[in-house]
Amino acid sequence: MSDNKQGATFPAEGGVREGSLDFIRQALSQGCFDAVLIPAKMPLSDSFAYALIEDESLLKDAYPLCPIMTVQGARVISALTRRGKGKKVLSAWLRPCEVRATVELSKLGQINLENIILISIDCPGVLPLADWAKEPEKTESAFSELVKGIDIEGVRPICQICDKFSATGGEDLHIGTIGMQDSLLLIPNSPKGRSILDNLGLQAAPDISDWQSQVDALTADRKKKREQAHKELESRAKGLDNLLHTFSTCINCHNCMRVCPICYCRQCFFDSDNSKFPFEDYLVRAEAAGGLRLPPETLLFHIGRMLHMSLSCVSCGACEDACPTSIPVAQVFSLVGSKNQKAFDYVPGRSADEPLPLRVYQDREFEEVEQSGARAPAPEET
Amino acid sequence: MAKKIGVYVCECGTNIAEKVDINRVLTAVSPLKDVEVAQRYKLLCSGEGQDYLKQSIEEHNLTHMVVAACSPKQHELTFMNVCEKAGLNPYLFQLVNIREQCAWVTPDGEDATNKAIRQIRAAISRVHYHTALEKKEIECSPDVLVIGGGIAGIKASQLLATPERKAYLVEKTSSLGGKVRSFSKLFTNMESGLRLVEQEVESLQQNENIEVLTESEVEEILGFLGNFEVKVVNKAKDKELKFNVGAVVVATGFELFDPKGLPQYGYGKLDDVYTSLEFEEMSIADGHTKGKILLKNGKPPESVAIIHCVGREEKGYCSKVCCLYSLKFDRMLKSQLPGVKISHFYSDLCLPGKSYQRFYEDTKEIGATFIRSAKTGVTGNEKGLTIDYETEAGSKGNSAADMVILLPAMENSSDAQKFAEMLKIPLDEKNFFVEEHQLLSPVASAVEGVFVIGCARGPQSISESIVQSEAVAGKILSILVPGKKLELEARTSEISESFCTGCKTCIDVCPYGAITFNEARRISVVNQVLCHGCGNCAAACPSGAATLKHFTFPQIYQELAGVLRQECREKNRECNRKLI
Repeated sequence: MSDNKQGATFPAEGGVREGSLDFIRQALSQGCFDAVLIPAKMPLSDSFAYALIEDESLLKDAYPLCPIMTVQGARVISALTRRGKGKKVLSAWLRPCEVRATVELSKLGQINLENIILISIDCPGVLPLADWAKEPEKTESAFSELVKGIDIEGVRPICQICDKFSATGGEDLHIGTIGMQDSLLLIPNSPKGRSILDNLGLQAAPDISDWQSQVDALTADRKKKREQAHKELESRAKGLDNLLHTFSTCINCHNCMRVCPICYCRQCFFDSDNSKFPFEDYLVRAEAAGGLRLPPETLLFHIGRMLHMSLSCVSCGACEDACPTSIPVAQVFSLVGSKNQKAFDYVPGRSADEPLPLRVYQDREFEEVEQSGARAPAPEET
Repeated sequence: MAKKIGVYVCECGTNIAEKVDINRVLTAVSPLKDVEVAQRYKLLCSGEGQDYLKQSIEEHNLTHMVVAACSPKQHELTFMNVCEKAGLNPYLFQLVNIREQCAWVTPDGEDATNKAIRQIRAAISRVHYHTALEKKEIECSPDVLVIGGGIAGIKASQLLATPERKAYLVEKTSSLGGKVRSFSKLFTNMESGLRLVEQEVESLQQNENIEVLTESEVEEILGFLGNFEVKVVNKAKDKELKFNVGAVVVATGFELFDPKGLPQYGYGKLDDVYTSLEFEEMSIADGHTKGKILLKNGKPPESVAIIHCVGREEKGYCSKVCCLYSLKFDRMLKSQLPGVKISHFYSDLCLPGKSYQRFYEDTKEIGATFIRSAKTGVTGNEKGLTIDYETEAGSKGNSAADMVILLPAMENSSDAQKFAEMLKIPLDEKNFFVEEHQLLSPVASAVEGVFVIGCARGPQSISESIVQSEAVAGKILSILVPGKKLELEARTSEISESFCTGCKTCIDVCPYGAITFNEARRISVVNQVLCHGCGNCAAACPSGAATLKHFTFPQIYQELAGVLRQECREKNRECNRKLI
């Protein structure tokens, strides 16, 4: 966390939701942006979804923090701007993991951020999608109870070990709620964010230490939990046999790939004919190994996906929510992602200016390869 | 159509046959799917071997061919040509390297034989997935741009310009001839440099296929071999000229290291301390002294000191012509001032080649002293200049002189950086242009169609520069034949429009600048002329949109499967089997 952050307080006597909506109304009326992309409760109360709202009156259905993640926000922004920027300025209300995925997609040419203002909010996590599907009302009321405290049990396992639940660097404006009484803390992080505060006549002051210290303490706690969880998972999932076991109930629906914000390919390689072989090839493989699990390439699909997206994986958990057989996909990917990202000293979504590791060559990396080669044990003499 | 694969194992004299049990190899691969014929031969690359292959392809009506022999670097092209002659598309053939990668490096014969079998199995599985590729051709301009009107550029232009080929010679100054113009005498024949230049310029002007653009600078070069677009601006007339050429020759020459950077020589501070080029300029007939060697006070010098290797240590290389032209200076001095005392201060004399040793011996006879000095400095007072020197053994001495001539290192032209960026040709750590291959391809650069000759490559003598002009002319004449189309690499990358999602990863990893982004369609597009088929894009593309022809996913997969399959089976005889 940078130390020179400043923030302005904004009244929120009616709670986080009401305060946020007041802020949006004011910003809309002051022309800070032309439209809002925000989770809203659908008219039939059947679900929450992102809505593109221009008419202020429709904000009554908006939920800046909704209990579930139906579609990852980065995918929504990609759908809007993949073919170029819009003429109007849009403010997008996202969870921190969605902001981070959005920043990654902008580097991958799938999102144009030019007329988008990214606003993130301290995130308590979301509840498993399956719970909502079973008992929507119960889940909603459970969430509104839970949201009163930030470190909550009952949210998805991946949310419980999330250490990037607050401002993460890629947002234009962050809404701090942790430890705030009857107010929100508006923390600008870019010229776009600062101009909103200016337009609203809000003064950003440097004293945000109360909020900051609570965020820092919680981050430290989450980091510990995350490490612990990764350690446990590693003992269960490491190695070919354990991986096969972990993904043994995979039904090849590829939902995890379809909901992943980072899986931006038009068609997944594993869905294409390029990954299919003549029947006799499978027979030969079955003969060689003794038998072949079908459909083939089930584990290869997951490993391939890891290879392609784990450097940009933001641990949003969308994959795990979408898995019909409850495979801990997000947890496995967050473990692999953490390790890969650490190897490149890369934090996905931290900054739109930070190049993707696989696209830049550094001499240092070559030295590392040479050195690791030198460290490899010499073949045993026989 | 049913596939018919021919497999041929080369004995390579004893190179392969001595280590690999070829008969066992043939027994193992003969029963593999679609193998029509599997045979051994003594030396497939020989004329007889090639005839044998051609006949066998025709006789068996082969659809695919696998040759197990040496490195593709050595004979892939040979066997591809055989295919072509036999009417088989050369891309339906695969060469397996069982010499360098098997026979030569595997100590045990049994192991080598097993390894060769696996390698050949892999190639057989691979060729099943080969498709015929067509070599494409493009129209190209036979014209050539020569940058730099020194002796190297002049000679190259003369050799290149023919009625079917225009040469554009661009020179930034107002006259042609470069540095040679100011050399009153050339070693070793002591002819006039100016006269040589004038002769050459005259013949240049008679050639109507050369367009000389003096006082002009190249502003932009875009494109690739056969199709470069050039923009030249005439600085005097502020006029812009655009034209197309097929190749570019960089002959931008050299500049001298500035001795002011080394204060021990007193250059720029003491009177009568000159660089070699300043001495040359003083010696030409139309120079400011009318060719007379004079001190600043108007008197001829009685003693001259010539200091070698000025800046050699700092630059880290020997400029190789200074010793030679310093002997020429001795002769120029002696012929004008017979009584002049000449001392050379040198640390190493560089007199290579068939004629320079003699030139040196003869020069010593006319009266020049050579003092070996590890450290030399120049000081001055009203009485004149003093050269302080120190031998390698550490003994010190000094010597008086009226005039000092410094022999500074040669450096690349100050325009080098500009052309390096414009043409994307790299400079080495000494700031000279890098050759495509120092030994095997010395006048070509890393970029196809761009060549570097003369001192832009590093210090050269006049004769060496001219040899390079001739070499580059030969290269260009053989590549850019007027009317002939240019054959392109067939194994290039292509990007599927329907799979490409426009993330531009391929553009970042392409070392040839061969991929551009089409903003309208939001996809990456490969320029088939610039693509060298390295495969970086295919490896980096997560969507599988970028693929490399002849190295497609199924081809590589089958090759790997062919290598590994045998292993699995052997292993699983003893190992537990499991469902993967």
